Amino acid sequence: MSSYAITILTLIVIQAIVVCGLNVIVGYAGQISLGHAAFFGIGAYSAALLSTRGGLSFWIALPLVLIISALTGLLLGLPSLRLKHDFLAITTIGINFIVQAIFLYVPFFGGALGISGIPRIQVFGEALKGAHFLYLCLVFLGLVMAICWLFTRVFAGLACFALREEEAAATSMGISPVRFKLLAFMLGTVFAGLGGALYAHYMRFVSADDFSFPLSVSFLAMLVLGGMGSLLGPLVGALILGALPELFRPLAEFRILFYALMLLLMIRFQPGGILGESSLIRKRLFPLFLRRQP
Amino acid sequence: MNPALLEVKDLSIHFGGLRAVDGVNFAVNRGEILGLLGPNGAGKTVTFNLISGVYKPTSGEIWFNGKRINGLPSYAIAALGLGRTFQIVKPFSTLTVLENVLVARGITRYPAPSCLWTSWKSRQEAQAAMALLDRVGLADLAQRKAGLLPLGNLRRLEIARALAVGHKLLLLDESFSGLRHEEISQLEALIRTIQQAGITVLLIEHNMRVSMALCDRIVVMEYGKKLAEGTPAVIQQDERVIEAYLGRKGESDAS
Repeated sequence: MSSYAITILTLIVIQAIVVCGLNVIVGYAGQISLGHAAFFGIGAYSAALLSTRGGLSFWIALPLVLIISALTGLLLGLPSLRLKHDFLAITTIGINFIVQAIFLYVPFFGGALGISGIPRIQVFGEALKGAHFLYLCLVFLGLVMAICWLFTRVFAGLACFALREEEAAATSMGISPVRFKLLAFMLGTVFAGLGGALYAHYMRFVSADDFSFPLSVSFLAMLVLGGMGSLLGPLVGALILGALPELFRPLAEFRILFYALMLLLMIRFQPGGILGESSLIRKRLFPLFLRRQP
Repeated sequence: MNPALLEVKDLSIHFGGLRAVDGVNFAVNRGEILGLLGPNGAGKTVTFNLISGVYKPTSGEIWFNGKRINGLPSYAIAALGLGRTFQIVKPFSTLTVLENVLVARGITRYPAPSCLWTSWKSRQEAQAAMALLDRVGLADLAQRKAGLLPLGNLRRLEIARALAVGHKLLLLDESFSGLRHEEISQLEALIRTIQQAGITVLLIEHNMRVSMALCDRIVVMEYGKKLAEGTPAVIQQDERVIEAYLGRKGESDAS
């Protein structure tokens, strides 16, 4: 594989990790979030600061990064998740802008210069780069997807589905909406933080511009395209939206047109996403390989 | 033990100038089926919403099983054993019928943090949920998506969910509305079996025949106030109730 392909793939895998987190919030618990890039950024900045100024290795810093991501998720989720629908969407957009502004204007975060000189991740005394870094990202993606899979099979996950479908009915059964939405939100922000940490150590430089609102929209677009609530949806969405701009590169100016056209066609004909609940692939293709469960 | 499972004392809620519920008192005794009747806009569903914690009362108290519950959040009231259904059915549409019941079963049995590691895919869970579906007559439809069921089945699914939670008191909000004739009698029989299982029922109903046949006692509301209370036989003879439903004798205004 060329190093160009490895770079693209690495970024796709990192984004897939983040979109898996978004899937827990939006796909499983049904809470719209248009500020997921903020938590991606919080993870990236935490990892950057802990490894440069803190002098910690990636492996020691990682648990701290995940804890910071979970706590900021808790802190920002607690007031936001009391809101619904459009209000929640606007609030999460606000979170994105505030977090980005803090990175940009607070000198502690390096201001407009960002943070540079982030060391490579060391495994057994060897610095990971190229394909090896990609493998590490794939291992983390596998881990994240395993956790997602487990989450859909335990009662806490089922309670989140119930809240997504009918909050009033779920509440009347004794499901605390705030508690389970927060759980999903924190799980989602932890995955975003993990993706952020990998991103920081891969780029070895972070700045506030890397975590702007359009990135949140692009995460959501990946999720919607791949199929909200499905396990493989985030990966498929990240692959397609990550690879298409590269494949369409010869089309130059027209590639944005194709990109927009594809999104519109998806929304019109496959609103559930490629792997969504009633998508063509799930209905026509899956039965060829899988026997339906009794 | 206090014979009353639920006591509503001087309950009021005002929306601006509108006194939707205004100083209502009644009690639901353990094991009975109490009907809450009244014309449209009498405040029945608002009373349900007050009891189940959707609204906070302007004044008054609600006692459930010896505990004051007004002011508690909805989910906490539900967790105490007070369940409800909705006038407009609220199934978890993309989940299967079986999963709908599993959610209800699991949530009280596996409180946090055990809900984080207890799988709902186990055979025991499925069997227990199937037993409940069998009881309400939905066992054949267990693997269907709940959103695809017709109304009569959805009403029964709501009752199955409420049973699965293990509620002591069930508030049924117009469970009979929009049902076909045979569905009505099936549901009637189901509510009787719920009562025999020791669950107290408070129901809102418009169908006179059904409520007279099913309820042990009836409370009639009008304009947010309690109009009358008693056995179906007494209520049927009550002048004020007849007036509220049919208008005064000799009145020609048919609007």
